[in-house]
Amino acid sequence: MSAADACAAAVAAVEVTGAWLIAVSGAEAGHLMRVTDQVSELLAELQMTLGEGPGPDAVASGGPVLASDLDEMEAVRRWPAFAPAARQAGAAAIFAFPLQLGAIRTGVMSLYRVRSGPLSAFQLGDALIFADTATLLLLDAQDRAAGGAAVSAGAGPGGQPADLTRHRAEIDQATGMLTEQLGVGIGEAFLRLRAHAYAHDRRLSDLARDIVARRLRLLPDPDLRKDGQV
Amino acid sequence: MDGELLSDTFVELTDTMVAGFDVIDFLHVLTDRSVQLLDVSAAGLLLADPRGELRVVAASSEAVRLLELFQIQSDQGPCLDCFRSGQPVQAADLAAEARRWPRFAPAAREAGFSAVQALPMRLREQVIGALNLFRAGPGAFDPAEVRVGQALADVATISLLQERNMRHSDTLNEQLQTALNSRVIIEQAKGKLAERLGVDMEQAFNLLRESARTSNRRLSDLAQAFVNGTDALAGLNVSRLPSRFSADRPTRRPGS
Repeated sequence: MSAADACAAAVAAVEVTGAWLIAVSGAEAGHLMRVTDQVSELLAELQMTLGEGPGPDAVASGGPVLASDLDEMEAVRRWPAFAPAARQAGAAAIFAFPLQLGAIRTGVMSLYRVRSGPLSAFQLGDALIFADTATLLLLDAQDRAAGGAAVSAGAGPGGQPADLTRHRAEIDQATGMLTEQLGVGIGEAFLRLRAHAYAHDRRLSDLARDIVARRLRLLPDPDLRKDGQV
Repeated sequence: MDGELLSDTFVELTDTMVAGFDVIDFLHVLTDRSVQLLDVSAAGLLLADPRGELRVVAASSEAVRLLELFQIQSDQGPCLDCFRSGQPVQAADLAAEARRWPRFAPAAREAGFSAVQALPMRLREQVIGALNLFRAGPGAFDPAEVRVGQALADVATISLLQERNMRHSDTLNEQLQTALNSRVIIEQAKGKLAERLGVDMEQAFNLLRESARTSNRRLSDLAQAFVNGTDALAGLNVSRLPSRFSADRPTRRPGS
């Protein structure tokens, strides 16, 4: 499964009309990875051309941008060029989700509907879970593209699902510590943490707890070091 | 109770319209002031994630933050009961609560707490989280203090919700989710700074917070810049740490 598949699957699960996914790697401009229909493609292009819209705002704020009615004054004030253009393209509501783990930013997933109206609490929860999944899959894809040994995103040791929301604080702290121990960026530090857990058949949260408690240090590995890349 | 601090705190908790308002920092003010004003040893705050999970957003100490995490992980405890019912939950002596919370009660006592009071953060029917007050010694909480605690939680809830247009659930969800994301960035920054200076997570957090205050920046922006390496926090004043926070003597706190 790829991040693009997660984006496509979100359309049916969240009950939206269409979706698109943009991957961001380092300082590069966004790369459009998936559109589920022509309107999505048009909306993605409009945002890139006009340089405004829910997607760019979601990346900038680090949180979702939920524009449930593009006809509303607030939407028009916020995106004076994009909002009317998106309406004309056929979208009445757009929901954009940044694909990120803290300071690790991998892209943005946007969903649109032909009807206006907010996502229900369940739909919002589902959309966030799809965004989490797409984030992990994008991180893996970026690592593979950079020649790293990617870890399976869907599963931890023994096929357990990577449980990112529960033991999260220690995982985040350990990731931050590894940037210093390994001299790498935050994205690579997270990959190294997961690779170590995978290679030693340990739960990510247990490994993170050992690092935070300073019972374990990881050493810089010259072979895995990708200078200048995050 | 310090009346002047209390009135200052109410002003502080309603002052969300200022430029650079930061939800995480705001909620830390709530937990810190609860400890200063009320006869409690520690305070923690949980908010509901739109995914349906509770998340620890602020805590007055690392010990209480871990205890709150434990409650979420073991799916049991007064804060969860409080959040689910929307009603205050009190336990005056956790030694007598092993049946009610078989996992939480021993963990709380091990963390050094004997009594707990959980207060809902709610506006009408909507419960967005819970403020949890912990005390080292057993005994019932003074009803007057509980009322002040609930008032602080209420004011904070209203302040969080007033910023946005109440007609939309959109903005609330955006803001809470953004706050939860910045919580992750702050944890990453704590880890990086703790490793760099050889301090523990609590000290790292205090340093980040102080640095944000001194430079008049949002805590989450500062954390982001530090993690991304665009700000080395050169102005960080490590020497102003109390001596037990000495940078050259890493404090080892297993599990923290």
